[in-house]
Amino acid sequence: MKTTRTLRRASQWVVFLLFAFLFLNTEYKDNDVLPYAVNLFLRLDPLMAGAATLAGRALIGVVWPALVVALLTVALGRFFCGWFCPLGAVIDAVDATVYRKAWRKDVVPESWRRYKFLILFFLAASSLFTLQWVFLFDPISILIRTFTVSVFPALNLVLHQIFDGLYRAPGPIPRVSEPVYGFLKSHFLAFEQPVFRTSAFVGLLFLGILVAERYQRRFWCRNLCPLGGLLALVGRFGLFRRRITEEGCTRCGLCESNCRMAAIGGDVAVTDHGECIECMDCQAVCPEEVIHFSGKEGRRPTAVDLTRRGVLASVALGAITVPFFRVEAHGKAPDPLLIRPPGALPEGEFLARCTRCGECMRVCIANGLQPTWFEAGIEGMWSPILVSRIGYCEYNCTLCGQVCPTGAIRRLPLQEKRKVRLGLAYVDRSRCLPWAGQSDCIVCEEHCPTGSKAIVLKEERTLTPRGEWEMFKKPYIVEELCVGCGICETKCPLADRAAVLVTSRGETRSTGVLAR
Amino acid sequence: MIRRPRVDIVSAGAYHARMITGGCPFSRRRFLQVAGGAAGVLAASALFPSLLRATGEKTVDVGISSAASPAERARGAVALVGGMKSFVSRGDVVVLKPNIGWDRTPEQAANTDPEFVVAVAGMCLAAGAKSVRVFDRTCNDARRCYVSSGIKDAVERFARTNRVEDVLRIYHVEDRKFVRTSIPNALSIKEWDLYRDALEADKIVNLPIAKHHSLAGITLGLKNMMGIMGGNRGQIHYRLSECLVDIHRRVPVALTVIDAGRVLVRNGPTGGNLADVKTFGKAFASRDVVAADVVAAEKIFRLAPRDVGHIGKAMESGLGISSGAQIRLVEG
Repeated sequence: MKTTRTLRRASQWVVFLLFAFLFLNTEYKDNDVLPYAVNLFLRLDPLMAGAATLAGRALIGVVWPALVVALLTVALGRFFCGWFCPLGAVIDAVDATVYRKAWRKDVVPESWRRYKFLILFFLAASSLFTLQWVFLFDPISILIRTFTVSVFPALNLVLHQIFDGLYRAPGPIPRVSEPVYGFLKSHFLAFEQPVFRTSAFVGLLFLGILVAERYQRRFWCRNLCPLGGLLALVGRFGLFRRRITEEGCTRCGLCESNCRMAAIGGDVAVTDHGECIECMDCQAVCPEEVIHFSGKEGRRPTAVDLTRRGVLASVALGAITVPFFRVEAHGKAPDPLLIRPPGALPEGEFLARCTRCGECMRVCIANGLQPTWFEAGIEGMWSPILVSRIGYCEYNCTLCGQVCPTGAIRRLPLQEKRKVRLGLAYVDRSRCLPWAGQSDCIVCEEHCPTGSKAIVLKEERTLTPRGEWEMFKKPYIVEELCVGCGICETKCPLADRAAVLVTSRGETRSTGVLAR
Repeated sequence: MIRRPRVDIVSAGAYHARMITGGCPFSRRRFLQVAGGAAGVLAASALFPSLLRATGEKTVDVGISSAASPAERARGAVALVGGMKSFVSRGDVVVLKPNIGWDRTPEQAANTDPEFVVAVAGMCLAAGAKSVRVFDRTCNDARRCYVSSGIKDAVERFARTNRVEDVLRIYHVEDRKFVRTSIPNALSIKEWDLYRDALEADKIVNLPIAKHHSLAGITLGLKNMMGIMGGNRGQIHYRLSECLVDIHRRVPVALTVIDAGRVLVRNGPTGGNLADVKTFGKAFASRDVVAADVVAAEKIFRLAPRDVGHIGKAMESGLGISSGAQIRLVEG
C-alpha cells in the first residue's frame, strides 16, 4: 500500500511549488494590484492568526483560512505537518538528500518533545498580555522570512555572478547563456539584487533547523515547533487516524523504526495521534499490509506527555516577561529612525500583529523595507523599517499593504496611501552642497514625488568656503507637503550619509490612536 | 552668479516678451536683439537663400510641426528636416532614447508621449533600420516608469501588430551593460560608465519631452542623454552643463525630436499636477541637438539659449550649431 505515501509526497511537492510560485510572485509585475493572494500560507496558519488576534485584541478577518485548517485538524488529525507544511517539506527533502541513515546520530531524548507545548503555552500567555513573539518559532513566518531576507537574495547573487561571467566570456558562450539568462530573468531572478539587514543571521538560524536533522528526524517538528504543538493538541482528537489489524501483525517493528515522528511507541499497535503527522510511511513499509488510516470507529485521544507543573510554569513565565518588555525605554522615546511602512498601525498594535514574515520586505519595490535589529526593542526584531539610504517608499505603490497577512500594515487605496506621512525630511545644512556653499545640486527637489513639491529651492546669497558670497539654490522642506517617502535621502548624491534625512517625526499613525 | 531662468509658456504664435519683476532674464533689449537678429536672418535667408551657402557657413534646419496628434507631429517635424531616410540608413542599429524617467502617466507630461515614441520607431523601421532599441535609465523604479509612461505597452503593441517583435524592442537597462568609457578632451568627466547599446549603436535618435527642470531651468535634447549614463548621476549635478557637453561629444546623436505636445511648466522634471501641464502642441526636429534646444527654448519657454546653463555651455564649447544666423526654421 504505497499509494497513500506517494500521494503525501506529491502533496508536499505541490505545496512547496505553490509556496515557491507565490513567493516569486510577491513582486511588482507591471500591475499595481497583485493578482494572487501571495500571503496564502500565512493566512492558513492558526498559530499566527491566534497570536495576532490575542495580542492585537482584534478579530482579523483575512485569516479565516486558518480557522479552516484548525477545523480540518479536528477531523483529520495533524495532517498539516506531514502533507501541507512547506517547512516540513523542506526538512523532509533535506533529510532524504543529505542525512541518509548512515549520517544520522540519534541522540535526542524522547522527552524533548514536550518543549514544543511549553513554547506554545509560553507564547500564548505572552500574547494574551499583548506581547507577541510567535514570529520567533512560527514555521511559516520563519520560512518566508528566511527565503525573503536570506536564501533568495543569495541565490540571486550567485546566479547573477555566473551569468555575468558567461556574458563576458569569449566566443559563442554568451550566445548560449544569454537566452537562459533571459528566461531566468523574467521568471525567477529578482529585478534588482535585493539586500537585507540581518540576512546572514537569519540564514544561520535556518541552517540550524536543517542541521538539527542530523540528530533526529524532524527534530524541529517534534521538539520545537509551536504550530506543531497546537495542531498536536487539536489533532489528537482526530477521527482519521492510524489503525492496525492486530491479527496479521507480526510485530516486526518496521513501522516503528521508520516513523519520522517516533509516534509509534512501545507496542507497534499504539499510536500517539498528537505526534502522528499521517505521512503514511508505516503503511508503505508494512510487509503484512495490516496498517491502514481510516475514520471508522473513534477512540479516546492519547494523553500528552506534560506535567501540570510544566504547563503552569511556562504560562506564568510567558505572562511575567511582559512587564519587563513594557518598561523598556524605547516605548517612551522611540528610535527616530523607526519609520514604519505606509498604513502601519500604531506601534503597539503593529507589533502585536506583525508576523515578521517579511512579505512586505519581499514586495517592497525599492528594497527600502528592511528587517529591524533592535530599533523597536528585542520584541520588535525583524519588523519592517524603511531605511531610506537603501531604498525609498515609491509614491504610487501600495504593495506592502496588499501582502500583509494580519493587517499590521493596512491595505490602503492609492489616494489614501499618498496622504500617509511616514515621517518628515530635514536638511543637514552643514553637509548639503548648496547650503554649505559648495555647489548647486537640486537632486532631492528633482526627485520629490508630491505633485506640488515638498522640497522647494530658494536662491540665496551664501558664503562659500573660500569666503566669497555666491548665489546657490538651497533646498527647504515644506512640512505640510512632505510624506516622508525618503526618496530625497535615497538619491542624495553625498556618498555616505545623506544631507537630507527622514525621521519619524509627524508620522500619521502615531497622531491617530495612541500607541500602547 | 547664475541667473535663474524663469520658465513661462507662450501660446503658439503669440511670441512676445514680458517684463518679469525681480531678476529679469530676458530684457526688452535682449528680446529686440534676438528677435531682430532672428527676423533679419529669416528675411535674409528667405530673400537670398544662396547667401548663406555663399558665405561657406554650415547651416542646420530645425523642423517645427504643429500637427494635431503626437504621432503626426513627430512625423511632420522629421519630414520637414528631410525625412528619416536622411538620418537612418538601411541596416542601421538604432537606439531610441525617450524620456521614461518617472513613474508618471502621459497626461502628467514627465515622460515622452508614447504615441510620439511609436511614430518615430515606425519611421526608423520604414527607413530600413535593422533593429530599433528603446530604453532609458529611470529615476523611479524602472518597471513602474515603463508601465506608467505607457511607452512599454505602446511599443510592444506596435511591434506585435506589425509583426516586428524581433526588430523593435523595449527593454530595461542592466547594470552589467555599462562600460567604463573615456571621454577625450572632456570639460568635466574624463571617464564615465555609459550604456553599451548606445555606444555600439549606428544611430541614436534622441526623443526628449520639453519640460521645466529646477536646476537646468528646462530640459530638452541635451539633458535627455543623461539616460545612457550609469553610476551616481546625482553627482554630475555639481557641473551638469559641462557633463552634458562631454556626453554629447562622446555619443553624438543623429537626430533629436523634441516632444512639446504637453509641456510641464512647473514642479519639473517630476511633475504630477495636471494644473502644471500646458498644451503646446508642437514638435521640433533637427540633426543638431544644440540647434533643436536653442529653438525649442525660445519657442516654448521664451528663454534665450544663454540663459539656460547647459545650452549656453554647449554654445560656448562649440558642440553644435547655435547661432541664429545658421539655424533655418522650417515650419509646417
